[in-house]
Amino acid sequence: MSVVQVDRLAISYAAGKRSVPVVRGVSFAIEAGRTLGLVGESGSGKSTVARTLLAHLRTGSTIERGTVHVDGEDVFALSPSGRRALRGGTASVVAQNAGQALTPSMRVGEQIREALRAHGEPDGPERVLELVRLVRLPAPETIVRRYPHQLSGGQQQRVAIAMAVAARPRVLVLDEPTTALDVVTQAAVLDLIADLGRELGMAVLLVSHDLGVVSAMADEIAVMRDGEVVEHAATAALFAAPQHEYTRALLAAVPDGRRPGGSDHVPEDATVPGTVTSRSTGTAPPEPLVRPVVTADDLVIRYGRGLPAAVDGVSFTITPRETLAVVGESGSGKSTLATALAGLVPAESGTFSFDDGTVSGDLREPIAGRSPELRRAVQLVFQNADTSLNPRRTVGAAIARPLKLFTGSSSRERVGELLTQVGLGPEFADRLPAQLSGGQRQRVGIARALAAEPRLVIADEITTALDVQVQAGILALLADLQRSRGLSCLFISHDLAVVRGVADRVAVMTGGRIVEIGPTERVFGGPNHPYTTTLLAATLEPGSTELPDVGDGVPRWRHADGWTDRGDGHLTRNWEDA
Amino acid sequence: MTAIAPRSRNVIGAAVAPLRSSTALSIGLGLIALHLVLAVIAPVIAGHDPVATDSSNVLAGPEWTHWLGTDQYGRDILSRTLNGGRYALLVTFLATTIAVAVGTVLGCVTAYADNWFDEVVMRIVDALLSVPSILALLVVVTVFDAGLWVIVLAVTVVYAPAVTRVVRGAARTVITQDYVTAARARGERSMSIVFREILPNVLDVVLVEYAMRASWIVLLVASLSFLGFGANPPTPDWGLMVQENRTALTVVPLGTLAPIVALATLVVGLNLAADGLSKSLGVDRATKGVSA
Repeated sequence: MSVVQVDRLAISYAAGKRSVPVVRGVSFAIEAGRTLGLVGESGSGKSTVARTLLAHLRTGSTIERGTVHVDGEDVFALSPSGRRALRGGTASVVAQNAGQALTPSMRVGEQIREALRAHGEPDGPERVLELVRLVRLPAPETIVRRYPHQLSGGQQQRVAIAMAVAARPRVLVLDEPTTALDVVTQAAVLDLIADLGRELGMAVLLVSHDLGVVSAMADEIAVMRDGEVVEHAATAALFAAPQHEYTRALLAAVPDGRRPGGSDHVPEDATVPGTVTSRSTGTAPPEPLVRPVVTADDLVIRYGRGLPAAVDGVSFTITPRETLAVVGESGSGKSTLATALAGLVPAESGTFSFDDGTVSGDLREPIAGRSPELRRAVQLVFQNADTSLNPRRTVGAAIARPLKLFTGSSSRERVGELLTQVGLGPEFADRLPAQLSGGQRQRVGIARALAAEPRLVIADEITTALDVQVQAGILALLADLQRSRGLSCLFISHDLAVVRGVADRVAVMTGGRIVEIGPTERVFGGPNHPYTTTLLAATLEPGSTELPDVGDGVPRWRHADGWTDRGDGHLTRNWEDA
Repeated sequence: MTAIAPRSRNVIGAAVAPLRSSTALSIGLGLIALHLVLAVIAPVIAGHDPVATDSSNVLAGPEWTHWLGTDQYGRDILSRTLNGGRYALLVTFLATTIAVAVGTVLGCVTAYADNWFDEVVMRIVDALLSVPSILALLVVVTVFDAGLWVIVLAVTVVYAPAVTRVVRGAARTVITQDYVTAARARGERSMSIVFREILPNVLDVVLVEYAMRASWIVLLVASLSFLGFGANPPTPDWGLMVQENRTALTVVPLGTLAPIVALATLVVGLNLAADGLSKSLGVDRATKGVSA
């Protein structure tokens, strides 16, 4: 018998007097030492299913029918003490955000010891150190005395994993374990999980919306949609020959980092008319003679006196109609660059100017010091559409406001026009943000930016919070609008596959500096700066079942003076081995 | 996607939905409504002039003409109780509205300003919060005499700082949201950001705060009257009635009990409403800042 056996499980959630089915008859089994990947968009019920392995239901949810057996026992028939033994003992979970899963006021060694003690395991310091070594944390003796906030996100996730495997569980449930981590850290953490699963012979259930993660980790994949498993197959077979149309659509929507031009295989149901037409970008470098819209030279941005510079001596240009993508891990300074361009933080030194022939101005000035024309010319689209729209104002009001502010007048017709342009429609004007899906909200965010008729759009991780299919639609929309309106775009992202599809040129940032800049295909083709090499290597391709080898994620280089010109405007900063 | 009903129906639905989901809110609002209705129609239904004395029938028990008996001057207790809420409710309504309005605007503005102005206002707020409220009121009333507006303004000065603190806490979490950043990036004026973006999103906190403060202010006004600094005799007023009739507690207990029951039901109603509102609006006071 399999370690995990889920049979025709159906769960519904009580909303008021109605009961809404969340899971409708899901069955699967996981053998010891095997990994099952559960993929699907948000709201497909994948997390709900995963939590039942620990006999956990959200308040208000009930089991309609079906059973969940873990290690031969029906988990929902267990006594309260049996449940406590199950949770963390037989089956344990690693949550998405380790920063929130760890107790902030307790040293990590003590937290690991607590996990051991709760299941009657020996909890001496040697056993704690053994676990810390098992999850490959550096300097075990010192790290156990630290508090969670003194660790990096990847280290926090390793501590959470150590706690999860402390009682040698038979089943490990991973709920989006690497979503909060950057690609390099993600690859290292996944490598650890794969090894642990093999060594300890655990049955692993991996929940993720990231097909790259799942394909590298799982032996089998179950695709969920609307509470049902629509397809269940071995990983290689699923990627080679997807059977269900939803799986096919899902795979087609994944931006492909190995091929240039991301929007030529947008799924048919991406709702913007005309976006399916292919767009050739990234192959030809922009005309070097064209006068740039944005020029930055030796730009330094600092959040406060005495703090290290968040952006440290950055130089770049953006030409008309060009998309410059900035990639890098969290904390690399890429978002700071976007906020400075939008005028929300002042620049400390260097040149930073805007000039498109009709409007010109100094971008070092914060927003209050900029002319109305310059404010209008530069518009920002936010990462998180949930928080970038005022929940108490209708979509129409959100778009009418910049219209009024920048063009002096706003009409329902104009608002409707803008909504139509972003693929929604005039009838959306009366809705509140809460009545829209994530993708629709992001479209409203784009419409709001377009209302000002900008010359430059700053897109700050605009698809990070979205499912792949929705992401494909948004990217296609942005590309389409950019082409039809001749916009320049600063596209900030940590996702290299997305960047390859949309950008003309790419700048790679780390530690507040640009280490490499050049036409997209040149950067992806190499030769590269070692940081870019690591970043490229760590990217998980859907369909590839190998985990990339990124070592321990510690850089083996340091900055040296000067740049190397590799032709076609492809520059890399010099480095020396460390 | 599910069809979206026209906006008007959503608004009505949204207004009624909390009532259906929360018994506490329904009972609380019911009690408040009952008090408001009684206070408005009291002169019509009371049956006796609340200030008319009758020396031939003092300290009477419940009887057919005087359901709750009479006090030491022969005034009808039921009529006085029914009329006694008018003064307290008027003062409470005015004082709470002004205090919450001032506190809300100050809280939002200081939260957004986050500069020397914020610093100065918040230190003044701290200073005002450190003065015991009843003591401050007694001083004001002694100096300026117990007029209606003197009490209203004194209560405002005492309670607005606490509201400022709570609203500022709520507003600070709103300010970090991207839609405020978006408004700043558009170059909106500060006042426009405060009133268009921040204020609508702290209204739930303000509403709960209103119900909460109102219950405290009712008690405070009654305490003032009880101490002889509020309504002047022979005005019918609950606090004053308790004070007048407590010496005759053993003879006509209803003279003291009736205003106490009236006051208690009003305060319980306000508290239930505040509690129900905070639950149905998802406002957890513990996460929004101060316990003041």
